[in-house]
Amino acid sequence: MNENSSNKLNAKDLIHVGIYTAILAVLLCVFACLGIIPVMMLSLVVIPPVIAGIPYMLFLTKVKKFGMILLVNILLGLMLWVTGMSYYATIVGTITGLIAEFIYRKGEYKSKKMGILAYAVSNLYIWSNYFGIFYNAEEYFSTRQEYGQEYIDSVQALLPAWMSPVLLIANFLFGLLGGYIGTKVLKKHFEKAGIV
Amino acid sequence: MDYKVNLKPTSLIDPRTKLLLLFVISVYVLGGTGGEKMKVFYWILVFIPVLLLLSDRRWKLFLISVLVYGCSFVAQNLLQGDLTALQSVLALTVYVFVKFLPAVFMARYIMATTKASEFIAAGKKMHLPDAILIPISVIFRYFPTIREEYGSIRDAMKMRGIFMGGGKASQMVEYRLVPLLADSTLIGEELSAAALCRGLEVGVERTCIWQVKMRFLDHVLIGFCILTIFWSIFGGLFYDPI
Repeated sequence: MNENSSNKLNAKDLIHVGIYTAILAVLLCVFACLGIIPVMMLSLVVIPPVIAGIPYMLFLTKVKKFGMILLVNILLGLMLWVTGMSYYATIVGTITGLIAEFIYRKGEYKSKKMGILAYAVSNLYIWSNYFGIFYNAEEYFSTRQEYGQEYIDSVQALLPAWMSPVLLIANFLFGLLGGYIGTKVLKKHFEKAGIV
Repeated sequence: MDYKVNLKPTSLIDPRTKLLLLFVISVYVLGGTGGEKMKVFYWILVFIPVLLLLSDRRWKLFLISVLVYGCSFVAQNLLQGDLTALQSVLALTVYVFVKFLPAVFMARYIMATTKASEFIAAGKKMHLPDAILIPISVIFRYFPTIREEYGSIRDAMKMRGIFMGGGKASQMVEYRLVPLLADSTLIGEELSAAALCRGLEVGVERTCIWQVKMRFLDHVLIGFCILTIFWSIFGGLFYDPI
């Protein structure tokens, strides 16, 4: 490979993007189903960021060029959109992905601290899935009438508007935690085995 | 010796139409966009995947879809009126499940009837950039692999006496996710090698042996999708709630 093309994404990079997006999407999908139970709505900023940290940190070891983090976020955002969340995640995911991209580039694509920070920033799209409840409650619940009034009441009681910044911070902190656990697991299992 | 390649398209409709249908079904059935005025469109969209499976003679998937639709219909009818707490949780689960069904069967239909090569050719015709197209085709290719690999990992862990509900939560995650990820890195290498052989590169002109073009049914379905979107935006002007 010559110097010129080394900064552009090649098929291998894009295949990695595809694979890790698929894994992250499956994990998100499994844990998002917990949202059926009202209290578990809050756990969505806790459990997925922590668990998705492991595949994400592995993914970051494959990232050596600009654009891969952003692509994963765009694709995940599109998937959340077509699976019935909202387009908020697509927009927020694109922005946070771009910021994460700059953060990880600052660490020259190898700093673990920057990696953890990049992960915590990029996964803020999870928080944006709550936007519908906070800022557009009427429309949000109009598509969920069949869940029953009980469900709607308890979700609304759990998530008043002031919870929005709280969830943002929680999302970020658990992102950091997830990234930290991710690097630990990576060290324990993958670096020893020579996979990374 | 003659080589014979079956150049007939693998399904009745074009990959582009399939994607549009998946999108429309997701937004209007799963997402429930548009509310009451969309009722007729909603029900048509619900049954489009079933009809497509039938028309493409995917008997097994068709029968499964009919069975699942039937069962959930019965379950929804049984779980009405006064419900105990457990029953209402069950009703909610069935409700969410039903909402997902059309999109799930549409996705199954797409996966069963679209070759990756056809999909990429169609994507190129839509002028999608490689940076989006290649990951998407990998994602579609990789979902069934995840299930397969996960099944094998679960079996292997069962033999070691590690299963869901037994032991600590962190172990449950670690012993399942880590092998899956280790697999994924290897599969990534293999896929990259395979892709290289098939000429899947960024910014390179690619040829496809299968014909990808729109036919009559595509135009009908696309017309319907456009009508659905149109009605969801402007339908409120003509719709009179009774």
